Amino acid sequence: MPLNEDELWYKDAVIYQVHVRTFHDSNGDGFGDFQGLEGKLDYLQELGINTIWLMPFFPSPLRDDGYDIADYNAVHPSYGTLEDFEKFLGSAHDRRIRVLIELVSNHTSDQHPWFQESRSSRENPRRDWYVWSDTDNRYKDARIIFLDTEKSNWAWDPISKSFYWHRFFSHQPDLNYDNPAVREQMWEVMKFWLDRGIDGFRLDAVPYLVEREGTNCENLPETHAVLKELRRKLDENFPGRMLLAEANQWPADLRAYFGNGDEFHMAFHFPLMPRMFMGLKLEDRKPITEILQQTPEIPPSCQWSLFLRNHDELTLEMVTDVERDYMYDSYAENKTMRLNLGIRRRLAPLLSNDRRRIELMNGMLMSLPGTPIIYYGDEIGMGDNITLGDRNGVRTPMQWNGETNGGFSAAPPERLYAPLIQDPVYGYPAVNVLRQKVSEHSLLNWMQRIIKVRGSTRVFGRGSIEFLHPANHRILAYVRRLGGEAVLVVNNLSSSAQAVELDLRSYKGSIPIEMFGKNMFPRVGDLPYLLTMGPYQFYWFRLRRI
Amino acid sequence: MREMIISELSQALHEIAKDFAHFLPRLIVMLILALVGWVIAYLAKVALRSILRLVKFDKLSENAGTSQLLKKAALPSATEILSRFVFWVTWLGFILLGVNALGILGLQQQIAGFFLFLPRLFVAIFIMFFGMLAASFFSRAALLAAVNANMPSPRVLSLAVRSIIIVFVLSVVFEELGLAKETMLVAFGIAFGALMLGLAIAFGIGGKDLARRFLEKRVVRGKEQENEDELSPL
Amino acid sequence: MAEESFLTDDFLRQLINVGEVDILVGLPTHNDAKTIGSIVNAIRSGILRGFPRDRAAIINVDGGSRDGTPALVTGVSIDDASPASNLNALRTLHSISTQYASSPESGVAFRSILAAAELLQAKGCMMMSAESANIEPDWLSKLLRPICRDGFDLVTPTYRRHKFEGLLVTNLLYPMIRALYGLRIREPYAPEFGFSGRLGTQFLGQNAWTDGTGATGAELRFNLAAIAGKYRICQSFLGEKIHIERHAADLVPALRQTVGALFSALESDFPVWSVVTGSEPVPTTGAEQEVLLEPVRVNRKRLRDMFSNGVAELESVFQSILSPSTLAELQRIAGVGEEEFYYPVELWVRTVYEFAASYQKSVISRDHIIQSLAPLFRGRVFTFVTENRNASGEMVEKNIEALCMEFERLKPYLLEMWKSRE
Repeated sequence: MPLNEDELWYKDAVIYQVHVRTFHDSNGDGFGDFQGLEGKLDYLQELGINTIWLMPFFPSPLRDDGYDIADYNAVHPSYGTLEDFEKFLGSAHDRRIRVLIELVSNHTSDQHPWFQESRSSRENPRRDWYVWSDTDNRYKDARIIFLDTEKSNWAWDPISKSFYWHRFFSHQPDLNYDNPAVREQMWEVMKFWLDRGIDGFRLDAVPYLVEREGTNCENLPETHAVLKELRRKLDENFPGRMLLAEANQWPADLRAYFGNGDEFHMAFHFPLMPRMFMGLKLEDRKPITEILQQTPEIPPSCQWSLFLRNHDELTLEMVTDVERDYMYDSYAENKTMRLNLGIRRRLAPLLSNDRRRIELMNGMLMSLPGTPIIYYGDEIGMGDNITLGDRNGVRTPMQWNGETNGGFSAAPPERLYAPLIQDPVYGYPAVNVLRQKVSEHSLLNWMQRIIKVRGSTRVFGRGSIEFLHPANHRILAYVRRLGGEAVLVVNNLSSSAQAVELDLRSYKGSIPIEMFGKNMFPRVGDLPYLLTMGPYQFYWFRLRRI
Repeated sequence: MREMIISELSQALHEIAKDFAHFLPRLIVMLILALVGWVIAYLAKVALRSILRLVKFDKLSENAGTSQLLKKAALPSATEILSRFVFWVTWLGFILLGVNALGILGLQQQIAGFFLFLPRLFVAIFIMFFGMLAASFFSRAALLAAVNANMPSPRVLSLAVRSIIIVFVLSVVFEELGLAKETMLVAFGIAFGALMLGLAIAFGIGGKDLARRFLEKRVVRGKEQENEDELSPL
Repeated sequence: MAEESFLTDDFLRQLINVGEVDILVGLPTHNDAKTIGSIVNAIRSGILRGFPRDRAAIINVDGGSRDGTPALVTGVSIDDASPASNLNALRTLHSISTQYASSPESGVAFRSILAAAELLQAKGCMMMSAESANIEPDWLSKLLRPICRDGFDLVTPTYRRHKFEGLLVTNLLYPMIRALYGLRIREPYAPEFGFSGRLGTQFLGQNAWTDGTGATGAELRFNLAAIAGKYRICQSFLGEKIHIERHAADLVPALRQTVGALFSALESDFPVWSVVTGSEPVPTTGAEQEVLLEPVRVNRKRLRDMFSNGVAELESVFQSILSPSTLAELQRIAGVGEEEFYYPVELWVRTVYEFAASYQKSVISRDHIIQSLAPLFRGRVFTFVTENRNASGEMVEKNIEALCMEFERLKPYLLEMWKSRE
């Protein structure tokens, strides 16, 4: 049963991104499944999140971790059955937790029956469902995304003796969105899941839907047209459901995906994320404020989605060369950490397991304008394993306790879909949910607290943002406002103690009440407001007028 | 008759002896004072000499130009002179005190006057000394400035500055000593005025060409620069 | 003990906001609005190009400008409040300004910058001059890289200059410092130089600031302190030196700032220079120093006349300063005609040394001693210009080298005078 009260529920959401395979294994086959996930819903509810984003769980040869889909209307047998999924969905809704699923719309696996048919011969009715060409010279201006593995966007099909287009791995042929049948079919897929009650979709790789000669084949007007059509149908038939765009583009290009409130509800703010890490390393707020100041206004019903890390590499596509080099040198000295113009590490290792920095980054995630997404395991500070290929180093099993297999599965360790993190610092005996639950000052408890504090007001999810520009460039300070409410957020990006004077003249007469301890601070007067901050410290102040 | 003379004489002698007896203690006091004064004066001289040596007074007086004066007059160094002067004044003071003790009225007034005069004397010497110092310093400064600015007759200028300052100092000294106050004032006025007038006339008449060239140089400086490249020393 | 700090509250507040930096560029100004724009732009380019990842700040200490110079300097800062910067800068760049006095005092300006460098924990620092007309962005790398990367403490510049420019340096400061302190620093009184935070802090702590001699010639004494303290020193070739002359080559103030500072430093540095023999070269990067040879018109007659006049008029002064034989020599050459006028090297060296000794003993007011050197220097300039009128760059260097050797050879003479009459 879907939850339908508030149409703008996604503005108040705190999203938990998880792959069912990684979370909990209920049947001992070494793979996490829906029954296992369902069994852990209490944990998630206690954490305080209210939305789960599930990564692809459809049947797939798993050559791209499920993003290569072989059947859109089923559940991969390793994870359970469709009934398991529906049961899980029901339990989530009972706990007032919404569920988003992935829709990989741009491409399928080459194992998908559609492609099997399409490639079988040129006369096949599904031939036009994919993008075929006799030469690989077309669309020359389109860039290659998986630079480390692919040399071209065209792959040769020996069966039909022609090239097919693929923006990602060569085993993921692109669907042809110029074909109305494809568009219709995609809507049917969506409808299938919406009927079962899911609350929304994350659409993967949307900029690349349509290609045209002479362009870079990204963000084309035709692509937007396709998306708008999908949205229209969604609004007509399933109001209150949400579409989230994955479009790794500059803010100006991202804007187009919101349309006039008639395309996507939400989109990831990709350019902000690396700049948060950069600002932290530089101890300078400039990268962060600049990108946010360049971020265009979006329609009132739309929302940015913010994240620190996800299942992919920390992408450095949307930064300058100077900035990329700096990020590589600062965060990925070891070249194996670098992948496809990005850095494949989890949050805690990126921040050298420094608790203060982890808290600061989460504090910014929770207080900047947008809906925050927590990547599974980051709430307990899980580590990564860069020896695992591609991006699998950040997709290891969830660590529940210090027992065998970290409590993830009863299967013998060799049968697990991936080995657990075992090193002395991040390994499951040291970093696990059970331990952190009983330890008062654990990261897990802290995360729970901050989610709760954030949830005590709507200003973070729905409010405006006004940056303050204190002369001390190590301090990132802004005011979030909604209606009569105002919250002052001050972040010290520096590893050393700082003093800062804030110009709070517009808020003269307010009493800042620190939101975690609820203690009052001196009232704002005429003079610049002096704050002294410890290393990596942040404050959230409710500016109260009494 | 003889007995009368003898008794008169002896009475007179007695009187004299009595007077003398009265006088004697005072004389002894005076002698003691003189002796004590000598000792104190000597100590003062030695102390002052050490102090002056410590602050390198000789060097200072050399700067003031007094050393040269003293040398020319074949006198010992400034430290020596000052120490000896202090010695004599102190001793004299004590002697006079002793003489005062003798109780000879007329003298007492003069002695009092002398003591009143002393401080003024010291101040005058003080002013004189530092005045000479200043004169020397400023005249040299003027000399150097004139030489470096390529002005004509720098030594004349230097001498003029020194003279003016010395004349001024002298007049202050004389006023301090209270010697012929009004005369000194008028004399100073005349001397100073004459000096100034003389300089003005000298400059005005004698230096008019020079003045013209000087002004020309200043005003038309740019033109001359063209004929010469400016070299920076640093 | 509560002391009056010489840093203003406003300056300190600005420094707090700048915070710790890696690179600090100090820029004293006074009514430089016409030229300061290109200078600060060059500085900013230099920082962005040479040190893109380092935290940097430009500190302007202004001596009471009335033409808006400070605003021009602070205008080049890069921050998020003024997002006009399309400069691809990774970081914020602070450019702050403070007024240290209502009229320029070079020592106070320098001291303020040293204080800022210490408070901001700057590792590499640089002094720039608002009067250098042709600052290139790469000057920053040239003066700072040796400090940041190679661990030097002082980087002095070398220039391409005309052979007759900077004669006070080539004929007195360079040879004398070389002979006494044992290091061949070509430009010991340069308008731009680089130094390490270490050296700056050490110099800031010295007493010289408070005993009255502090303000004048602080930069020269800074170089001397670096030598005396055995800091690592090197030279870096910058390029052509084009100095904007606003006060026509005033010799006497120049003498005060340089020779006066040098002589007064000799007293406290005696334990250092008295034991040094010979001289060592200083590691140099970049091109070799070059000499421009175009002909210049020098008013030699005036130089000679000022010499002769000086010798004549200042006789009484020289009698206190020079030895009788030296004075007699000078009087003799003063009497000679312009064509035969020649101020030999040996006599010049003895002159300078006797002046140094007299300065130490304060035979007369020290400032007067310095002033009286001016006409003699002019005589020396005359001879140098005449000798090198048609000389090539190499010849000029040879002559300067010969002068240096003479200074070194006669060093015992200075030591003897110094120790006698103590």
